[in-house]
Order: sequence, then structure tokens, then C-alpha cells
Amino acid sequence: MRQGRILIIDDDPDITEAMRVILENGGYEVDSALDSAAGMNRLKEAKPDLIVLDVMMRTPQEGFELSRELKSNSLYKDIPILMLTAVKQKTGLDFKPAAGDETWLPVEEYLDKPVKPGVLLEKVRDLLRRP
Amino acid sequence: MENLFESTSLIQRAYWLIRLRWVAIGALAAATFVASRFVAVSLPISALYTIAAVLLVYNFVLYDLLRYWTWAGREPSERKIGGILTWQISADLLILATILHFSGGIENPFFLFFAFHMMIASILRSRRQSYLQATLAVLLFGGMIVLEAAGVLRHYSLEGFAAHELYREWTFVFGTLFVFTITLYLLVYMTTSIGEQLHRQQQGYERANAQLEGKDRLKNEYVLRLTHDIKGHLAAVQSCLEIVFHEMVGPLNEKQKDLIERACRRTSKCLAFITALLRLTRMKLTGHLEMEHFSLRNCIFNALAAVQNKAQGKSIAVSHQIDPDVDEVLGEAVLVEETLTNLLFNAVKYTPNGGQVSLRVTQDGPFIGVSVADTGIGIPNADLPHIFEEFYRAENAREIERDGTGLGLAFAKQVVERHGGTIWVRNNPDAGATFVFTLPRDAAQRQP
Repeated sequence: MRQGRILIIDDDPDITEAMRVILENGGYEVDSALDSAAGMNRLKEAKPDLIVLDVMMRTPQEGFELSRELKSNSLYKDIPILMLTAVKQKTGLDFKPAAGDETWLPVEEYLDKPVKPGVLLEKVRDLLRRP
Repeated sequence: MENLFESTSLIQRAYWLIRLRWVAIGALAAATFVASRFVAVSLPISALYTIAAVLLVYNFVLYDLLRYWTWAGREPSERKIGGILTWQISADLLILATILHFSGGIENPFFLFFAFHMMIASILRSRRQSYLQATLAVLLFGGMIVLEAAGVLRHYSLEGFAAHELYREWTFVFGTLFVFTITLYLLVYMTTSIGEQLHRQQQGYERANAQLEGKDRLKNEYVLRLTHDIKGHLAAVQSCLEIVFHEMVGPLNEKQKDLIERACRRTSKCLAFITALLRLTRMKLTGHLEMEHFSLRNCIFNALAAVQNKAQGKSIAVSHQIDPDVDEVLGEAVLVEETLTNLLFNAVKYTPNGGQVSLRVTQDGPFIGVSVADTGIGIPNADLPHIFEEFYRAENAREIERDGTGLGLAFAKQVVERHGGTIWVRNNPDAGATFVFTLPRDAAQRQP
């Protein structure tokens, strides 16, 4: 049974590979991109059911910017985003309470890196189950 | 570092002059009383009492004015407060000259008191101002004694104290005036020289301090960059190991599983350390709190819930006693809760099985006091002064847990101090230690 298609956008190839294994183990189809531009291209080719997005790629804000861009685009705004971050410490922004607040951080969930396999699978399952 | 020439300290000095003047008024009245009653010296008593009365009114007015200008934390400009000081000193010179005139003029050795005014002027005002004050003093005193000698101004002799006709001896008058003049100018010269040297030194210290702060900042930025990069690599290592450990890429034999588990445990410890260091450094760098009104009561219960499992595992009874008035405070809830959790975890960690941990929260005026007491291993006296330093771990704590970060208490100290509170620790007389910290209910006004 097809559980869903997930696109991982993260510039760390090792973390991407690890998450790919975890998610494929959970029965998901996984696609990946190493930066925002590549991510947008993958999106256009095959629309995923969920995006796992790293907050900090080449710039500390790249993930934020992409998430805003996606949420303001009618084609993609319904795709849930799970944001991965080590940014809590880096930028001084503790944005957990604001997750889901459209004006600030338009993502559905956020997780601090490194993510435990069980936790990642659970969050993904939750997000895909949401109406 | 407090600057000698800042307007705040000038205001304090202005108040200080007023306090001195109360003493001077009392002394003038008392001296007049004693001299007229008990010593056979003739004095125009009513004139002297009048001066004391005028001085009293003058000082009250000055006090009220100063209070009005500095009311509700207002801080008048340095220029304004400096002007007030200048006028005070000049007025005091005039008053001293008047008092001397009515109490013997040149015959009264209290004219030495002009020296005090020169010292005060030299310390509080500029060099130029001080020379002007010295000139004013010379003009007032010189004018008085010369006019009295010439018979233009009435002379009130100190009968019974000084030789009667001395005030008319021109040699004596000019000789005294000459010595008086050079004394005042020399005094101003010396005092302002020393004052300026001290001022330069102070500026030097301030510059050095600013440089040190800049260097500390650079160091923190460096640590932040470094730890952040390390964390990225560690996160990747951890992610890969976890997959193997959970046998997502195939089954492991016992030995493989054991070794991978060891590796996982070490990377998580290292990650915990790096994360703690990142948070502490971030806090030191930004110094910024996300202030909000929050329920301290909720934070306390969250913290208690967080340590419950661990305490139960060691059969440690965790009791709490919270003052019913304690609830809402202004601060950063996440940080305060973490600090509380931190202290409770420490208490449980370093208390042997079956011990006790008690949390007390009290309201004490504008402060809330939180204490966490345990019946644990306590802290060796030699370690007590260093316990809040980064990476410092007490001897006996290292024996119990080898891999602690040594950052938990440093973080707690940062959090508490950023909120305008203080944190300290003491050993209990029987066993264990008590950590106490205070938080202002309204941290906003106290944030450094």
C-alpha cells in the first residue's frame, strides 16, 4: 500500500540519506533535494504529500524563506511541512510555540536535529493523517 | 564602572553638599551660642543667628529644588547639575565671607575654611571653574579685610580673642591676603591635577574594560560557530547510528548491537554537551529575554512533573511548598522552567536512594524566592565558590556522574541574573545542599 510521497530538502547529504532510510522503512516513497532551487524543481515534477525541510541550508534563513514561499503559493500551500532544525540555538529564536502560526513560521511541525527514527515516523504519520 | 564625573554622581555630590550645610548651620548656631555665653568674646549675636536662619531657608529651598529636578528618576543634564553645584559653591563662599565679617574678619581664623570650598570645587568642577571660585574667594575675603582696614566697612572685633588693632595693620592685612591667595590657588592647582590624573586613569580602566568585553564577545561568537558546526556533524553521525541500531538496514548480532549502542550513547552525551554550550553561549551573546507574563506556578508543576519518574526510580520523596500569593511573574517562561527543572534534576541526581528533595517558593516583597533542598552528597567547601562557573564540577559530583557537562549551573546563573535575580548555594547542616534563587516579580525593570 502506498503510504505517501515525501520530499526531503536538506543540504546535509548524510542526514538526508539517514532520513531516507528511516522513511522508506516506514513504507514511504522518498525524494530529496539539497537546496531550495532543486527542491522547487522536484516539487514541480512530482507533487509530494509532505515536505521535510531543513531550516538552515546555505543561509540561516533559507528554510524559513522557502516555507513562506510555499505557503503563499496556491499550488503548494496545502502540503504539510515538517521543519528540522538546529536553529533554536543559532539564531536565538525559540519558535516552537509559534509553529502553525501562519504569520510567523508557516510550517505544521518542527523537530530539533537529530531526529530519533521513531519520533520522525510518528510526526510524519500524524501530519499525513491530518485533514 | 561608575564615573566620577557622571551626572548621577554629581547629583549625589549636590545632596552631599546639602547635608554638609546642615552640619555647618548647626555648628554656626552652636559656636555663636557657646562663644557668647561661655567665652568672653564679643559677637554681634543677632546678625550671626540671622545668617544661620537664612542659611537654613536657603538649604531647604535647594533641597526641594534638587528633589524636584531629580524627581521620579529624572536625571538632569550634567551641564545643569554642574551649574547648580557652581552656584552652590559661590553662594557658600559669599555666606562664609559674611559670617567672617560679623565675627572678627581677619581676626577670625575660620577664614581657613575657604580651603574646603576650593577642594570641593576642584574635585567636582573643571579646572577653570575652580580658579574662578578661588578668585571669587580672594575678592570676597580680600575686599572684606581691606575695606574693614580702610574703615569703609564696619569691623566687628573679636574682643577677648585677638589683638584689638590688628585689623588696621596694612602689613598684616596684605601679608595675610598674599598668603591666603597663593594658598587657595595652589590648593586648586594641586587638587585639580590629582583629580585629572584620577579621571584619566578611570577612562583608561573603562577603555580596558570595553576592550575585554569586545574580546569576550569574539570568543563567544567563535564558540558559537564552532559548537554549531560540531553539532551538525554529530547530528548526522547520530542519525546514521540510530538507523543501524534500530536494525532498519538489516539485523545485528549481539556484539554489533552492543557496540553500536555504546557509540549512540556517547554521541548523545556529546550532543547534550554541545547543545548546552550552544544555549549558554547564545544567552551570553544576545542577552535578550523574550519577556511575557507567565504563571510561575505552572512552571513549577511542569518542572516537578519532569523529575517525577527519575525521583520515583530512586525512591526519593519530592515535596513542595508554594506560597499561595505566588503566581504570575514577568520573564521568559521557558528559561525559568528549565532552570527549575535543572536544579530539581541535580537534587535528585546527587541524592542517594530513599532521600528527600524539597522545593519551597516564597513571596518576599518584590522578589520571589525559590529554594531546592536535598539530602544528598552536598558540595565540598573547596568547590562551593566555583560551583556556578562554566565547566566546573565538584569533586564528589564527578565521582557520581562522570559525563556531566558542568554547564547546567552556569546556565541557571545566567538565566537568573538576566532576570535581575541572584542565585546561591549552601550546604545543609546535616546533609545535602540547598540551592536558592530569587526572581523579581517584575523583571522588566531590572533587566540589565
